[in-house]
Amino acid sequence: MANSDQPAMELRRLSFRYPNGRLALEEITCAVPHGERVAIVGPSGAGKSTLLMHLNGLLPSPSLSKDDDAQVAIEGQAVTRSRLQQIRRQVGFLFQDPDDQLFCPTVQDDVAFGPLNLGLDRAEVLARVEQGLAAVGMADCLTRNPSELSTGERKRVCLAGILACGPSILVLDEPTSNLDPRARRQLLHILREFAGTLIVATHDLDFVIDLCSRVLVLESGKVQADGPTERVLSDPLIMDRHGLEVPWRLRR
Amino acid sequence: MHIRDGILAPEVCLAAGAISLGAITYSLRRLRFDLEDRAVPLTGMMAAIVFAGQMVNFPLFGLPVSGHLLGGVLAAVMLGPWAGCLAISMVLIVQAVLFSDGGLMSLGANILNMAVVGAWGGYAVYATIRRILGNGAAATVSAAVIAAWLSVLGAAALFCAEFLCSSRSAGVDPRGVLSLMVLYHSLIGVGEALITGAVLSFVLARRGDLVPTPNAPGSVGTIGRFAATGLMAALAVAAIVAPFKSESPDGLDAAAQDLKFDKLEVERPALVLDDYAIPVAESAWWPALPVSLAGIVGTLVVFIAAVVLAGITRRNVVPIRVADGSHGN
Amino acid sequence: MGTSGIGSDTGSHSICHALPAGMKLLLTLGIILVAGLIPLEHWPAQGLLLALVFVGLSLAGVTMRYLVRRLALFLPLLLVFGLSVPMARSNDAAWSWTLSLWLRCTVSFMAGLWLVHVLPFRDLLTTLRYWHFPPALIAMLGFMYRYTFILWDELRRLRNARAARDFGGGPWWRVWSINSQVIGLLLLRAMERAERTHRAMLARGWDGSIRFLDGKDAG
Repeated sequence: MANSDQPAMELRRLSFRYPNGRLALEEITCAVPHGERVAIVGPSGAGKSTLLMHLNGLLPSPSLSKDDDAQVAIEGQAVTRSRLQQIRRQVGFLFQDPDDQLFCPTVQDDVAFGPLNLGLDRAEVLARVEQGLAAVGMADCLTRNPSELSTGERKRVCLAGILACGPSILVLDEPTSNLDPRARRQLLHILREFAGTLIVATHDLDFVIDLCSRVLVLESGKVQADGPTERVLSDPLIMDRHGLEVPWRLRR
Repeated sequence: MHIRDGILAPEVCLAAGAISLGAITYSLRRLRFDLEDRAVPLTGMMAAIVFAGQMVNFPLFGLPVSGHLLGGVLAAVMLGPWAGCLAISMVLIVQAVLFSDGGLMSLGANILNMAVVGAWGGYAVYATIRRILGNGAAATVSAAVIAAWLSVLGAAALFCAEFLCSSRSAGVDPRGVLSLMVLYHSLIGVGEALITGAVLSFVLARRGDLVPTPNAPGSVGTIGRFAATGLMAALAVAAIVAPFKSESPDGLDAAAQDLKFDKLEVERPALVLDDYAIPVAESAWWPALPVSLAGIVGTLVVFIAAVVLAGITRRNVVPIRVADGSHGN
Repeated sequence: MGTSGIGSDTGSHSICHALPAGMKLLLTLGIILVAGLIPLEHWPAQGLLLALVFVGLSLAGVTMRYLVRRLALFLPLLLVFGLSVPMARSNDAAWSWTLSLWLRCTVSFMAGLWLVHVLPFRDLLTTLRYWHFPPALIAMLGFMYRYTFILWDELRRLRNARAARDFGGGPWWRVWSINSQVIGLLLLRAMERAERTHRAMLARGWDGSIRFLDGKDAG
């Protein structure tokens, strides 16, 4: 599946305008190689979520119907309407609010949702549910109602539901929002175990330092900086100009 | 509004159940074309909204009782008649099976009276009036207010028919129950019309783009709509002209008090008697005239409310902003 | 939520809870049907049925306190409703109609309470699947059930916020207007959430066809 001479994710001059006329993304170009963990940081409203949703074809972008000149490519494949199912198989998307993502009455049903949509048979689905929940340390919660779980547990169940689909790329939108320190640390451990490519949009810069090797700074829909985590995050010029702060750990 | 088990005869429940089953099946089929892959999340969410919305109690003009939203017209206006009918049906199913509120055998009758008449009938009235009044926010609110009023009277008239069929053999003249219920329903109908109008007015002011125009694909054909509107009007007139009515206790609030949701109810401990605790004694002897009068006064109140709410809406609505879809960037 | 089938495992495992879910539903429906068919002159049969339902409730571990509370809310309304016929025209037929109504309704109500107590929602969905109810309806019911909890929490927060500002008082039209706004806001937020959830479903390969884990009519 993984075509190793192609980047896992590539954007070619990606622009996006909302129906109300607001330009959310402007000419973004970048490539993420296999296995890299990239953070996208920037002030609220910079276009981070919009960018992430393009990776999964979740927005009605004109680029979706351009077969030859696609602006988004996953594993060398253009993200177009006809390939959406295939793309969504490869890209797992963790949304910011776990309640948006857990819509089934039990944990088991929810984790099984993705694998069932892949058309797998029952035994395979059950095996994947088990693996997914085991990977996030929630194996004993099969019949629980998601409403009874804590925010951190819900987040982990969401992640299990995504891992059960076997993605090669994980896209995470604000994964640490509303998590207490312990839940945050658990999430960090789970994500470090993941072997594929990671793309994380977040405000949590300490989390970025612990997880990612590369950082993109996004503001006003444009990439303002791109480089190794420590270099970008410790540069006061970049950070201050884009509404961010150099984390304490990197201050000299 | 719920009909309890034991009030209607089994054969009446069976017949109503068969009609409701057909209505649900038909709604499901139309829904698939109407909302496509959004059908499940939108309809399920609407059912949850109506269910939660019914927990909000509205004081009744200083009386020690309170009423609440029924939601059939509101759901149909937001998502169309098919999803609306399904959403209200699901609310009724969950109330019957998880709260013992309403009845199991009379579930079909409840769905027929509230979901089918409320969403299908209410929507037909709404769409017809909007066709006359146009597509403005004020027209939307007026149409929904009148549709909500007619849907409650229509449900009431239908209940009368069901109740008369059920107690026919007993050799009883159920006029006492029926005329009492006209009074109740006039009050409930006015409440439903006011709440529906006010909620919709609020929604239109904030996110007018969420309220679709009735001529969207999947809506009923013109002839069907006029037929349904005529039927609704006839039912409403029947409810007002004939002192002809009945009703059963509503225990949703009671259930809420027993279960964990009583947290929501702290404000009004008196609400346990819900909509139906009006002293019954005199009204049972009341002749037809005052009862019909209640219906006519209710109609007037609703029309005035429609005009006033439309005016408020017109003032509040800002030019429609298109959803920009960027949540919590 | 301990006293009912709401939520998942409530921890009660009486003999009644152990029955198959479908049987619980059929049993309850059967009792309600029989109660509706027994004519008044056979009132001892109706009493027997009432006793049977009562035994069922005890076996299911329904506390007396809960039962009395539910009945205390239910019976007065039933009494009023039943009385309105003999009040309009007091004769023997009217009174026997009323008595029979009271008995029927009480038996049915208590049978319904039993079902509420012993049938968890998850089992209800499984049973409906087994009985070949339309998959779309079952999926929507599951969705509704899940989000009802979330909306209740949201509603509570909205009302607290409102109470913090105006203490929930004021003339009736003001309360009506504020309550309508609370419902309106709840509706707006929930519809926006439904859009996000729809996106989350698409991201996991949703194509509009409903598939269940039990493997029946998948697709």
